[in-house]
Amino acid sequence: MSDREFTIPIGPQHPALKEPASFLFKVDGEVVVDVEPRIGYNHRGIEKAMEARTYIQNLYLVERVCGICSNAHQTLYAINVEDVAGIQIPPRAKYLRMFVHELERIHSHLLWVGVAAHEIGFDTLFYYVWRDREVVLDILEEISGNRVNYAWVTIGGVRRDISSDKIPKFQKMLDILAERTKYYTQVASTESTIINRASGVGYCSKADMIRLCGVGPHARASGVNKDTRRDNTYLAYDEVPFEVVTAESGDVFANVLVRVGELVQSVGIAKYALDHLPDGPIRERFTPLQKVPEGEATNMVEAQRGEDIHYICSKGDNKPYRYKIRAPTLANIPSLVVKLKGGYIADIPIVLAGIDPCFSCTDRTIFVDETREKTWDMTSDELRRYGIRWYSDGCNK
Amino acid sequence: MVAISDILSIIVFPGALFIVAYALYCNWLIRKTVARLQNRRGPMHTGYAGLLQPFADLVKLLAKEDITPSAANKTLFQSVPILILALPLAAVFLVPIQSLTSLWAYTPIASFEGDLVIVLLIFSLIVLNVFLAGWSSSNLFGAVGATRVALTTLAYEIPLVLLMMGPAILAGSFSINKIVAWEVASVQQFIAAPSLWGLLLGIVMLIGFAICILSLLAELEMRPFDMAEAETEIVHGWQVEFSGKKLALLVLGRDVKVVLASALLTSLFLGGPTGPVLPPIVWFVIKTTLCVLILSNLSALFARFRIDQMLRWAWEYLTPLAVLQVMAIVALSWVI
Repeated sequence: MSDREFTIPIGPQHPALKEPASFLFKVDGEVVVDVEPRIGYNHRGIEKAMEARTYIQNLYLVERVCGICSNAHQTLYAINVEDVAGIQIPPRAKYLRMFVHELERIHSHLLWVGVAAHEIGFDTLFYYVWRDREVVLDILEEISGNRVNYAWVTIGGVRRDISSDKIPKFQKMLDILAERTKYYTQVASTESTIINRASGVGYCSKADMIRLCGVGPHARASGVNKDTRRDNTYLAYDEVPFEVVTAESGDVFANVLVRVGELVQSVGIAKYALDHLPDGPIRERFTPLQKVPEGEATNMVEAQRGEDIHYICSKGDNKPYRYKIRAPTLANIPSLVVKLKGGYIADIPIVLAGIDPCFSCTDRTIFVDETREKTWDMTSDELRRYGIRWYSDGCNK
Repeated sequence: MVAISDILSIIVFPGALFIVAYALYCNWLIRKTVARLQNRRGPMHTGYAGLLQPFADLVKLLAKEDITPSAANKTLFQSVPILILALPLAAVFLVPIQSLTSLWAYTPIASFEGDLVIVLLIFSLIVLNVFLAGWSSSNLFGAVGATRVALTTLAYEIPLVLLMMGPAILAGSFSINKIVAWEVASVQQFIAAPSLWGLLLGIVMLIGFAICILSLLAELEMRPFDMAEAETEIVHGWQVEFSGKKLALLVLGRDVKVVLASALLTSLFLGGPTGPVLPPIVWFVIKTTLCVLILSNLSALFARFRIDQMLRWAWEYLTPLAVLQVMAIVALSWVI
């Protein structure tokens, strides 16, 4: 380290981070030379807790993996369990799930546009976007009773139905959203201060993005044309016409363009789902203590932040034997580091926010010995003994 | 022998107490305007339409715990907030507002040949103090904020000084009071006998006013030039370690700086606290409110600049425009 360089810690607590995560920035003046990301401040042991709960109880636990993509995790969990149990869900349930899945994407992307505007110091746009986000939250509240964590999905279908007399009202609200998203598309792509702050900032090439396995809008902004909804279709996405929005420039501005583009697409999908809602039952029966036959399954959905992967292993009990969650933020951190290097301190918050990070979904514990290049897991007893030793014997000195 | 009216005008009106009260009003005005532009309500509950909210905030901060970090340079850290409030307060004394003894007079508390230079010097001293505030707090964010303050100064200080020279060249005096008197006289002359040159001079002055507002936006660290205290980047930068009474002084100091900036704009470009029918104080309030409204409108319109973008912008557009404006004024001063 030359004498011009010094280290700035961003996190674990920092206004640019909505959740605890630590980034050590080695800076030379205003330029970032190196970044050392460190996650794990918000580990909650959800995977382990799921092994002690029944399949129905887990629905509500898995929903709390993430506050914003709650429905994506819940949908994926239900798809996984249905996969192992061999349950076919009715077509109406597929469309209802898809409807809420897209509403959630709309509310999350609107939230992101607001946060991004705030990070570049454009609070006026932030307040406008969040005002319009209330429209989609109102729809969600009206159909589920909650603004986030809708508890909409259950194993075998959905928990509630949408009555047909409410559909015209929702269509009207979605029309308002469509109009507003068009306006924001125009604002985001023409407003010169946004272009100044976002264009050319946080660049990651397409080759790097593929090599580092980026997912979601973050990857699509670098020109990687992949979307689980189209490539590995689930629910009724094969019946709905929609486009995968990509951009080529690989910077924060491309991120903005992809997300506002997806907003328009999502509103279209939600409207299509309401128009073509099939008749019939909304769920197959799945009793609270029902056992699931032995087997394993891995499925993916396109959450707002990217591809979300869940793995389930059942040993024929009424509880999962093992459940594994790979939230999209984890996949995006390596390419985030590429984006941060070489940038300015002033650009750190917007580049960080560019991947729409969600660290509590991402945090895992694993023990690494850097000198011997060894990694291992610990059982809870070992972990407890390790903790006592750490604090009592002064290992932390 | 100092008259009692002199003491009263220094302490009460139009001196310290009035300026502080007016600063709090400006704070409320900025908050309310920006809030309404952003589709929010702004202060609502304390006083009529939240008018007393800045005062409540000030009292709250004064009552809060005051921490001095052990790593900080204590003498500097404790004296800087006082200076940051005292310097702009002293500068406002030099700007004409309203005389205490006579309803139609607007002589400033202190006026002498060259007080405009003193005001400009005070502007630079405030920046130096802000730099010291960030530096003495021994905090990384504070240090980054301090260097950003020093860098932004390079961008806006030169155009600001150039633009304030313009009216002084025309009036042939460095006294703010005399500049105002010249403006009043020339406007009356223009109304009596309108001429093309007078109109041209008015347009050039209007351009100067516009550029000056942009420079002052940077001086006041208002968006889009608030990179020295950018909350999302460096956590309020140079102010990060200040709390309690010291923070109260800093906040009040910034508000007084808003008063100083709008009062200067009024004096140098808008004819000072003068106008038909109404006494000077009313015109002062009307004109400075107009300036503050323009400032807060601008700050709600843009995203924050990055420091290098701001420097480039200032050197590419602001400084050349300021030079051109002053050259135009010099040329016009030969003609008229």
